[in-house]
Amino acid sequence: MLNKHEKLMKALAVSVLAGSMAAALSFTAAADEDVTITYMASQDWVQDAEMELGEKFTEETGIKVDYQIVPSDQYESLLMTKLNTGECTDLFGGQSSQFSIVNQFHVEENAVDLTDEEWAENVEPAAAFELSVDGKLYGQPVQDVSAVWAVAYNRQIFEDLGLEIPTDYASFCDVCDKLLEADIIPVYECVSDGWHHVCWTEKAIAATEADPEYPDKLNKNEATFAGNEQLITMFTELKEMVDKGYFGDNYMSNQYADAPAAIASGEYAMVLYNQGLGVEVNAVDPDFPVDNIGYFVSPLCDNQSLNVNYCGPSRFIYSGSANIDAAKKYLAYMASDESLAYMTENVGKFNQLPYLNAPSAYSDVIQEFYDRYPNKVAVFQASVKYYNPAWMDIGADMSAMFLDEMTPEEVLEDIDKLRAEQAAAASDECWN
Amino acid sequence: MNKNKIYPWYFMAGALVLYFVLFFLPGLIGVGYSFTNWSAYSTELRFVGLDNFRTVFSADENYTKIISNTLVFTFVTTIIKNALGLLLAILLTKSVRFLNLHRGIVFMPSVLSTLIIGMLFKSILDAKSGLLNTFLRSCGLGFLAQKWLVSTEFAFGSVMAVDIWRGVGYIMTIMIAGILSISTDYYEAAEIDGAGSFARFRYITFPLILPTLATTTVLNIIYGLKVFDMVYALTNGGPGKATTEVLYTAVFKKFGTGQYAVGTALSSVMFLIMLFVGYFMIRLMTRNEVIE
Repeated sequence: MLNKHEKLMKALAVSVLAGSMAAALSFTAAADEDVTITYMASQDWVQDAEMELGEKFTEETGIKVDYQIVPSDQYESLLMTKLNTGECTDLFGGQSSQFSIVNQFHVEENAVDLTDEEWAENVEPAAAFELSVDGKLYGQPVQDVSAVWAVAYNRQIFEDLGLEIPTDYASFCDVCDKLLEADIIPVYECVSDGWHHVCWTEKAIAATEADPEYPDKLNKNEATFAGNEQLITMFTELKEMVDKGYFGDNYMSNQYADAPAAIASGEYAMVLYNQGLGVEVNAVDPDFPVDNIGYFVSPLCDNQSLNVNYCGPSRFIYSGSANIDAAKKYLAYMASDESLAYMTENVGKFNQLPYLNAPSAYSDVIQEFYDRYPNKVAVFQASVKYYNPAWMDIGADMSAMFLDEMTPEEVLEDIDKLRAEQAAAASDECWN
Repeated sequence: MNKNKIYPWYFMAGALVLYFVLFFLPGLIGVGYSFTNWSAYSTELRFVGLDNFRTVFSADENYTKIISNTLVFTFVTTIIKNALGLLLAILLTKSVRFLNLHRGIVFMPSVLSTLIIGMLFKSILDAKSGLLNTFLRSCGLGFLAQKWLVSTEFAFGSVMAVDIWRGVGYIMTIMIAGILSISTDYYEAAEIDGAGSFARFRYITFPLILPTLATTTVLNIIYGLKVFDMVYALTNGGPGKATTEVLYTAVFKKFGTGQYAVGTALSSVMFLIMLFVGYFMIRLMTRNEVIE
């Protein structure tokens, strides 16, 4: 409870600020607040630039931000345990998805409705759709969702060896074989994080292209993953890449955070990454030109469409938080014009954050990459129910497949089982 | 125990009520939930009989492997920690220079946070740039360098080895207390009779330290069955599907994915195993007690 003096000071501060610049946001009104908000997120979801903005936010509002960064392979279990036991942090990070925010996060119960926040109307409609339930917005996008998971490659190495951008799986294998002959490990893969190698499965869009109704059939439980020709091909080719040594020897213990350094070293030629790797490699090695990184779509299943996904890491305010107002101020600060510009400028992979007031920073190389693949197909993460919540389990299955503990067919059967378990637990009528 | 000195039963009523409400009742409710479809996905609660236990013991699932991993972990770490602990205790009860320093060094890992140890060893055991493999390669022993934490052959052994390294100092300390409580008269008499070092260990130290050994065994078994943080920090149950998964990491994951009922069923199985093991442990520890 505020005393009279504090109330007076607060009112005075509000009046002064209200009378000053119109752009000054309301969070500056309470510069003397003694509140610490906790924000739990997976590794790589909170960039250094965000923490720097967090410090400025604290300077301006007095609200401290305690970032709790959890290793990505452990994050989902920890988050769900905290949500399910009612002991979550003030802010939590989670993947957006029209399906999983309802079935997994139960945002209607666990998160605060942010629809009336000033910044909410600036969120791009496609990104907002993946964060909304019944027209109410529950989350705030963190990352650039225009970026796709594509194969980022060292253009200089390709030029030196006379390699062309592959257009199908066979030509991709040719490229990898030539790289191996030159003593360069073709692809940097990092299974230990638990999630990155699953990004290769975004090429499941090949199944959607073969049958546009397939995602709907999966959602209605009228089709299964098991037995799908394109998906079997996708997992078989991935396993083949491991067996042929395209991922090198250390792919099981490599870490995602080390990818820019690995590419900068020249030891590896390619990595599945989103657009902006060039800036990150350049940060590791200033002699490495940003535009020396080019991109092409993963050629699994001979697919040449762009795998688009408007889902991505997002911030949610926990409904049980004692600091909801302070958390809202943090979100407002992060969505301001200045913060979005700062994030775009300082985070290499952020070229176009999903806000109408965010600047665009596509380089010619990246723009040329997007232009090269005019056909866009939504990935399973966005189009198939109970797929995103099973992401880490699928990752465990895939690593078992890499280690010869499971076959591609068994992985697909297990995905069906994982989805059925969640559907049954959710009393989904399509599964009953 | 003298029956005339038995206190009235109501002296323990307070403790009993607290134990019942805070420990027994939640445990009982947990077992009850394992017969339902309790989950985070639905507010409806339905009795499903033994369905969750069928899932736990189903051949299609990994739970039997998880249970067997837990038992193997418990068995192996208990034996090795006891053996190494006893060996170190014998060495460090001799006249050795800087005795307390040696004891302190061996004991130190026990007081470090398990999660920090896990993270340190994750780095030390890294296949490419970890300290261990780098050292082996620099000594010309590169052929011994392995993928310690990310291969199905070595991951479980590596996790157990790190846990033994962490826990052996604690066991050693208890053993040292046990050895120091043995009267030196026995050893002097044995020496006069011409007994060598091994004979003194075989006929004096070992029999008299058995009660201490029983205590450390119980501590190790309880710890082993409940192990969580070491596995969580080092491998999180991987690589692959369940190479190093143990019961508590599996229960944690089930709760994490909102499948509470299967999680409680797994916990109930764990409870039965601990009840079974505990019964024999208590018998072992009390078999030499004399009731007057």
